Amino acid sequence: MKTMEEVLQDWEAVIGLEIHCELTKLQTKMFCGCKLEFGAEPNTHTCPVCLGMPGALPVPNKGAIENIVLAGLATNCDIEKHTMFYRKGYMYPDMAKNFQTTQGPKAFCMRGWLDLNVDGRGAQERLFWQDLAEGETAENITRTADGYVAHVGITRIHMEEDAGKMVHIGGGEGRITGATHSLVDYNRAGTPLMELVTEPDLRTPEEARLFMQKLRQIFLTLGISDCSMEEGSLRADGNISLRRRGTTEFGTKTEMKNINSFKALHDALAYEICRQAEVLEEGGQIYQETRHWDPSKKHTVVMRVKETADDYRMFPDPDLAPYDLSDEFIERVRGMLPELPDQKAARFAADYGLSAYDARHLVDHRFSADFFEAACAAAGDRAGELAKPLANLTLNDITAYVNANEGIDFATTPLTPERAVQLVSLLAADEISSKQAKEVFAAVLEEDKDPHAIVEERGMKQVSDTGAIEAVINEVLAANPDKVEQYKGGKTGLIGFFVGQCMKAMKGQGNPKLINEMLAKKLG
Amino acid sequence: MSELFEMGIREIQAGLAAKEFSAVEVAQAATDRIEANDFQDGGVNAFLEFTPEMAREAAARIDEQLAAGKTPSEIGPLAGIPMAYKDNMNLLGTRTTCASRMLENYESAYTATCVQRTLDAGAIPLGKLNMDEFAFGSSTETSAFGPTRNPWDLERVPGGSSGGSAAAVAAGFATVTLGSDTGGSIRQPGSFTGTVAVKPTYGVVSRYGIVAFGSSLDQVGPFARSVEDAALALNAISGHDALDCTSQPVDTDFTANLAEGVKGMRIGIVPAFMQAQGLTPEVKDKVAEAAEHMRTMGAELVEVDLPNAQAAMSAYYVLGPCEAFSNLSRFDSVRYGYCEPGHKDLGGQYEASRAKGFGPEARRRIMLGSYLLSAGVYDTYYYPAQQVRTLITQDYTRAYEKCDVILLPSSPRTAFKFGEISDPMSMYLSDMFTVSLNIAGNGGMSVPVGLGVDTNLPIGVQLQSPQFKDENMFRAAAALEQVYGKAPIAPAFARKAGE
Repeated sequence: MKTMEEVLQDWEAVIGLEIHCELTKLQTKMFCGCKLEFGAEPNTHTCPVCLGMPGALPVPNKGAIENIVLAGLATNCDIEKHTMFYRKGYMYPDMAKNFQTTQGPKAFCMRGWLDLNVDGRGAQERLFWQDLAEGETAENITRTADGYVAHVGITRIHMEEDAGKMVHIGGGEGRITGATHSLVDYNRAGTPLMELVTEPDLRTPEEARLFMQKLRQIFLTLGISDCSMEEGSLRADGNISLRRRGTTEFGTKTEMKNINSFKALHDALAYEICRQAEVLEEGGQIYQETRHWDPSKKHTVVMRVKETADDYRMFPDPDLAPYDLSDEFIERVRGMLPELPDQKAARFAADYGLSAYDARHLVDHRFSADFFEAACAAAGDRAGELAKPLANLTLNDITAYVNANEGIDFATTPLTPERAVQLVSLLAADEISSKQAKEVFAAVLEEDKDPHAIVEERGMKQVSDTGAIEAVINEVLAANPDKVEQYKGGKTGLIGFFVGQCMKAMKGQGNPKLINEMLAKKLG
Repeated sequence: MSELFEMGIREIQAGLAAKEFSAVEVAQAATDRIEANDFQDGGVNAFLEFTPEMAREAAARIDEQLAAGKTPSEIGPLAGIPMAYKDNMNLLGTRTTCASRMLENYESAYTATCVQRTLDAGAIPLGKLNMDEFAFGSSTETSAFGPTRNPWDLERVPGGSSGGSAAAVAAGFATVTLGSDTGGSIRQPGSFTGTVAVKPTYGVVSRYGIVAFGSSLDQVGPFARSVEDAALALNAISGHDALDCTSQPVDTDFTANLAEGVKGMRIGIVPAFMQAQGLTPEVKDKVAEAAEHMRTMGAELVEVDLPNAQAAMSAYYVLGPCEAFSNLSRFDSVRYGYCEPGHKDLGGQYEASRAKGFGPEARRRIMLGSYLLSAGVYDTYYYPAQQVRTLITQDYTRAYEKCDVILLPSSPRTAFKFGEISDPMSMYLSDMFTVSLNIAGNGGMSVPVGLGVDTNLPIGVQLQSPQFKDENMFRAAAALEQVYGKAPIAPAFARKAGE
C-alpha cells in the first residue's frame, strides 16, 4: 500500500463525522426518572419507561434540552424553535421499545460551524496551504502564520436516547459471531444522547482528530458531559470517500463506527484513505459499508454491507408534543454560556501578551488553561513578566508529564501554581539553568518540596561569578591545547566541546550563557 | 329498595354511611353475580380476569375506615364502588393481556395512573375486562379469549373494542367500568348496550399504563348506568399526570351542571350525518326524537357543518395503523410476551412469535402501518392524513362557534349478531360517527335513549363537546336522562317483577 502522503498527492479525502455525546452531567435519563450512572450493576437503573413495558410513556428531560441548546449556541448553530421528536423504528433487543426516540428533519440545533487551527506536523497532511499568503483563503481554509484555519460546517445537533448495552457470550472477544447467547444491560437505555453531524468539510485525518478534540473541549467547558471516550460517553463515526484531485463529485463512502479515541479516529481514517486508494487504483469499487477499526491489527474490516437504504419508518412521536422553545428560554441559556476555549485563547493572548500559537495550545486542554491561569494569578504583579515562561512550562514540561501519566489530575500534584511561579522566577533570574529547571521540576513532583528548598538542598545554584568561570575556562583550555589549535584553525564547532568540559568541571552549575560568551572571547 | 347491584354511586355511599350494608357486602354481591352469570358456557364473558380476593381486601379496607368513623366521601369519591377495567390497563397483581395470545401470561409491572386513581378513591376492583385484541375491532369478536356477549341479547355482540366494559355495566356486574376509545371503542359499545359511555377530550385522563393502540387518539373514559356516575368517575380519574406529558391540568367538576337543564343551550345538528348511508331508520328516528326533546326543554337546535368529516375514516385508517404498528413493535417475544421456541436466530424468533402471538386483525393493522410508514409511501398517506386532521379540527372549531354540543348517532345501527359482519371494511364502518372526534381530540359520549322500534335493542345518541368543555355534553346528557331515565340493566340480568 502507498503511504497516505503519497495517496493524497493524487486523491482528495472527503471526511464527515457523526459524533455522539451522552449528557452525563444530568441526574436522570432522557424520558424517565431513572438515575444516570456508569458502571452500576446491570439493569439496576431501569423502570417501565426505559424498559419499554406495555403502557409506559416518555416525559422529556428539560435539562437535556437546556444542554443541547447550550451545545448549539457554543458551536454557532441556529436554534430551531419548533421541533418534534420522531420515532425511528428498528427491531433489536438493545432498544426495548423497538424504536428510538430521536428528532426529525428539524433538530434543536441547525447550521453551525467550528474553525480549526491546524499547525505543526498535523498541518502537513493537507496539501497546498503553504502556497497561500497569510490571511488568504481558498476553499474552506485560511492561511495563518504557522498553519491554516479550516472552517468546518455542522449540519445539525439533535437529541435522542441511547440504547442499552449488549454483551455477547460464547463468541470471540464479546463479538456476536459464534456467540451462544447475549445479555442486555438497560442501564444505558434512555441516556440522553446528542448527535452532531458535520458537513463533509474535513480533508485530512488530522482535521477530523482536531475537530473531535475541539468539540470535546467545548462540551467539557459547557459542563454537559464527561466526554469519556473510554467509557463511550463520546464516540465518533467517521464517513470517508476519495475523489481524484480536481474533481468535485463525491465518491462512495464507507463508515467507521464507534471509534473511541482520537488516535483511533486519525489512524482509522488514514488507513481507510490508503485502502480505498489501493482499491480504486486497481480498478476496483468501493462499497457503501460499515467498517470496524481494529486498533491492534491497525486495519479496518467490514461489519455490514448496506445494499439498500435502511427504512426506519420515521414519524412524529405521538406521545411527545411538538417542542416550542421560547426566545426567553434561548436567551436564558445563552446567559449560561461560560467562556469558550477560543474566547479564552484570545483573552490569554491579549492579557498576557502570549503568541496566538501559545494561547490556543494552552486552551487545547482544560488542565493546561486552568493551570496557566492559576499560576498567573499566583504570580500577582509579576504575571506580565512571567506569563511567557509560565506558558512554556505549561505547554512543555507539564503537558509532557500529563501525557506520560495517563489519567492524572494535574491540579492535585505537588507542583502548585505557587511553586511553578518560584520555578520560573529562578530561571528568569538566571539562578538556575534551564537544564537545572527540568531537574527541579521533576524533584518537586517527586519530593513534594518547594523549588527553593530543592535548589538549596542540592546546592544547584547556577554559578554566574565571572572570576570562577574564567578560572575553569583557563584550566580547560590548558588541558586541551590540540583542540585549541584546531579551533583556531577553523573548527569552530569545537566550542560545544569546551562548553561541555567547563560545565563538567563546574558540576553542571555554571551559567552556560556566560561560559559560551567568555569562551568565544578567549578563543576569538 | 334497590338491590346492591342496581345502585348508583350516591346510593351505595348513602347505604355505607347509614350502615345499611358494608363494603364487603357490596363486593360480595358483585362477585356473586359475576360468578353466576359471566363464566359458564353461554355466559356474558365480560371478564378475562376475575379478582374476588382483591375486591374483598379493598372492601375490607373501606369497612375499616368506615368503622373508624370516616364517611364514604372522606374515604374517597369512589369508596365502596365495584369497578372493573378494560384489559389494556395495567393493574399490579393482574395480567394485562389486551385479549391477545401475545400477552396471555403478561403480569402487569405497575398500575396505570387512571386505575390507581380509582383505587385511591376507594373503588373495589373486580377484575379485567374483555376487549377486541389490542382494541382492534368494533365487536369484541377479535378477542383471543372468545367474544363477550351482549347482555341484551346473548346472540349479539356488545360492540367494541371496550365490549367487556360495556357488558359488565349493562349486566349489573359493576357499577362503573373503564374503557378506552381510539375511534369509537367506548361510545359504540355504549350504544349497543344502552349504557352511559364517555370518551373525554384527549388529555383529560392520563394514558400512562394503558397499552397504547393509537397514542394520539387513545383516551380512557367511564361506562356507567347514570350520567352522574359517569361524571363522578371521570372526576376521580381526570387531571394532569406527571407520567403522561399529553395529560392536561383539568380540574373540572363534571357533575357541576347536571341539574341545569338545556334551556338556552345550542344543540348542533349535522344534516349530512342524518342522511348518511348505512344509518338505520330506527337510529335516525331516535336522534331526531332526542333533538326534539331537547328543543322542548328549551334548547335551540342549530344546523352545523363538518365538511371534511367524510375524510375522517380514511385519515383514521392511516393514522391509527401507523401508530399501532410502532406501538406494537415492542411485542417482540424477547423479554415478555409470547415466544415461539426453537429459533436460533433473532429474526426467525421475531417472525414466528409475532405471527402466532397476534391475531389476524392485529397482523392486518401492523402490516398496514408498516406499509404506510415506509419510505416513498409515507408522503402519500401519512402526511395527507395529518392535513385532514387539521381540517377536521378546524371544522369542529368553526361548528362550535354556533353551538355548545353536537348531537349525532353513536352507531349507525343496533348490536349485530356474532359473525354477521365478517368483512373488515364493513366492520370499520361501525365507527363512521365516532372517528372524527378522535381525529380532532374532542370529547364525546353515548347516552341511552331507549330501544329501537325495529330491533328492540338499545340505542345511544352521541353528544360531542368542544375540547376541554366536556361539562357541556354532561349537562345535555343529564337532560336527556331526565326524559329517557337512567340506563337500565339488561332485562335478562335485571330483577324480575315481584322479586
